[in-house]
Amino acid sequence: MRIEDYEPFVGRSTVEELRLLAEKLSGKVIQNINSTFTGGGVAEILGRMVPLLNQLGIDARWDAIKGGNEFFNVTKKFHNALHGRREEISDHDISIFMETSKKNLAEVSLYGDIIFVHDPQPIALIEKKGEADKKWIWRCHIDVSNPDPRVWEFLRRFIVAYDTAVFSAPSFAQELPISQVLISPSIDPISEKNMELSQETIEGVLRKYGLTSDKPMITQISRFDYLKDPVGVIEAFEMVRKSIDCQLVLAGGTATDDPESDKVLSLVRERAKKNPDIHVLLIPPSSDLEINALQRASTVIVQKSIKEGFGLTVSEALWKSKPVVATAVGGIPLQVKHKVTGLLSHGVEGTAYAIKQLLSNPDYARRLGENGREHVRQNFLITRHLKDYLLLFITLEHGEDVIYL
Amino acid sequence: MDMLKDWLVNYWLDLAVPLLVILGSLFLGLWMRNFAYRAFERWATRTRWKEDEIIVQATKRPFLLWCLLLGFYVAIQVSRIPPRWASLGGRLLGSLLVASIGIVLVDVAEKLLRIYLSKARLTVTLIALVVNVVRVAVIIVAVLVLLDIWGVPIAPLIVLLVVLALFGALAFRDFIPNIFAGFQITSSGVIKHGDYVKLESGEEGYVTGMDWKSVQLRALDNSSIVIPNSKLASTTIVNYGRPLKKAKEVFRFYSRLNQKELTGLRARNLVELAQVLKEVPDSAIYYHTHHFLEEHQYLTPEPPNDFAYWVGDILGEAVLAEKLASIDTFEVPTLAALRSRIVNVIEEHLSQGQDSRNAPEGQEFYFVKSRSVVFPTAYVAHDLREFVEVLRKISTNSLYFHMFEARLRLQRGVNDFSIWIRDGLDDVELANHIARLDPYNFTLEGLRSSVIQLIEKRIK
Repeated sequence: MRIEDYEPFVGRSTVEELRLLAEKLSGKVIQNINSTFTGGGVAEILGRMVPLLNQLGIDARWDAIKGGNEFFNVTKKFHNALHGRREEISDHDISIFMETSKKNLAEVSLYGDIIFVHDPQPIALIEKKGEADKKWIWRCHIDVSNPDPRVWEFLRRFIVAYDTAVFSAPSFAQELPISQVLISPSIDPISEKNMELSQETIEGVLRKYGLTSDKPMITQISRFDYLKDPVGVIEAFEMVRKSIDCQLVLAGGTATDDPESDKVLSLVRERAKKNPDIHVLLIPPSSDLEINALQRASTVIVQKSIKEGFGLTVSEALWKSKPVVATAVGGIPLQVKHKVTGLLSHGVEGTAYAIKQLLSNPDYARRLGENGREHVRQNFLITRHLKDYLLLFITLEHGEDVIYL
Repeated sequence: MDMLKDWLVNYWLDLAVPLLVILGSLFLGLWMRNFAYRAFERWATRTRWKEDEIIVQATKRPFLLWCLLLGFYVAIQVSRIPPRWASLGGRLLGSLLVASIGIVLVDVAEKLLRIYLSKARLTVTLIALVVNVVRVAVIIVAVLVLLDIWGVPIAPLIVLLVVLALFGALAFRDFIPNIFAGFQITSSGVIKHGDYVKLESGEEGYVTGMDWKSVQLRALDNSSIVIPNSKLASTTIVNYGRPLKKAKEVFRFYSRLNQKELTGLRARNLVELAQVLKEVPDSAIYYHTHHFLEEHQYLTPEPPNDFAYWVGDILGEAVLAEKLASIDTFEVPTLAALRSRIVNVIEEHLSQGQDSRNAPEGQEFYFVKSRSVVFPTAYVAHDLREFVEVLRKISTNSLYFHMFEARLRLQRGVNDFSIWIRDGLDDVELANHIARLDPYNFTLEGLRSSVIQLIEKRIK
């Protein structure tokens, strides 16, 4: 992976500008801290961003905090509560969170000039802020447009101590005394998940999972999670299936910080087992190529999330010029402009209706897909993300609205 | 004394014949130089070529010497000098002849080469290189002949020279194609010092130097590019010719990247929208009336400003949305004026007693403000040729900065390009043409093409 490899996608001048910005950060150490090196969107983004920042000459590093099952059960509850779901959070939960945080405070070495903390799990590290002249950024990858007030208030006292908070969509912004920056996540066009594939590779993957290329394929790629509403997708599919012969693929994995995944997976398997046209595929996190092939083999891609941090699977689908039906939650409306780059839906019926429209009108579906690819090219590729991060680091030292470097 | 007399009486013929031969050759030489050469000179001046004059001039002076050397040689051969001395004398005379012919050859070759090579428009350094190569070759041949005369075996030397030449060719194998290509480039006159050239492979700039190895260009970012002659000779070159009028000051291209800062402010309905619009900083007004230009470049026509989109699509107020969409940002001189125009349109609508319905939850209007980070790029332009070539290369961010941000946000009143063309190049007409383009009616790529077309037309 070299920074020049992105020139064919975004043009040379874009890469030149990244280099110019990176020069302004020479000598600074950027320390990223999150909760896991594998699984989930955050680890995926960091796994790409950190080497690319290094390529631009920036000393960016990545550490993960430690925590047991109990700790991650609590942070999962936080996660759900921030998404607006009702969660019983006891004082015991809070004390588990604080205890693990205290251990991490003692163990994690903070060597960066800029400490870039991702999501709520490591948020309490800010208590070390006073120790040296460092800049602290809290990056929230979660949809916090309508958070459970108790959890939000609990986290808020940490957040306000940071220098800047970063959110993925305008609707996630909160009234905070610190500056809040909008940075959408991104996809990597040369990663295994998004690179071009040969027809042979695609067909090989279809064979492996017992799928056929003779029938239109409707796909939702996401980990097994209530918030992705896999059961709702099955219900919508069953409505479509009444009039159109097609197949449904629900594919995804589980993450180490998500103890609920297995429960959701077995529920979905139970619901799907009577219908031979529904394929539930448990795919390990390392199978990016297979995910890519499934997306490329799809006729329509669905993302029927109830809550969504950003919904990168939507960008992945759009980049492959696929027509997308998605719910207008989290960062999805930034990616899907209704009837321009895809179709937005709200409920099961609406999703079924949109899928039918796309399956019956391939020209319309193709036009949406092509617009979608251009939209992703300009707004959701990793080079745009790199640019936003570089700007974020640079502007930490500035207060004005027009900054001359 | 008597002995000498006796010797002269007995052998006078042995002395007289060589002396007569020497005298004969002297007279022949003198006669040739005075009469025959005069005829040659007259003939040479009558011809249109200079070459014959050079040959006549170069051989005129040593001709007498050559005749004398010939005379002495023949005299020695007919005399009764012991064979050992005769052989030594013959070698000495032969050596003198070879040396003098060598000097003349070097002189003639140099003069002839200078005539031919300057006709082929080669550079001074290239001519000097060729002359030196020929000079060395003649000297080597002369030395070999001299050694042969003195009985030194030259076969091993020739082998050594061939081996050295092969090594040389190997060592300089990269240079040799460059030298030949250098001949070709300079003799064809395709490019000259000061021309603006563009290569198929993308390199471009003004030619600042040419020599036997390479051609040097000054690139658009002021860096210098060295292109080997061999590469230049085998590629397609577009030559735009001599530089155009230089501007009083160079134009430095800047770029600008946008950071989106969330304000935490939101509006649920029109009343709140108008209210918050009065409070937010200019940078929020700027963001919501401009960001779509960059984010939706692929759509023509691009979507309207955020206020019109939200009022139309979320609140379902089609009439007001149309009024907001048709606010002509190009006509507005400042962000403050733009803000008050938007607020006036909304308030006028509200004053007509229209309902102010609420947006569904999650679809409120979220105020974002734009922070611009402005930085210089490597590109500069000294004249319109360089300017238009840079314009093809710069990012849309740079184009955006000079065409949109400079005019409205930095309140320069007009775009940066027009200011430079008017003040730096005194070309008011072209400056006005560009200033009159309404950038809001184009996609950024469309805008880029339009400005390029206007300038290309000017410098044709």
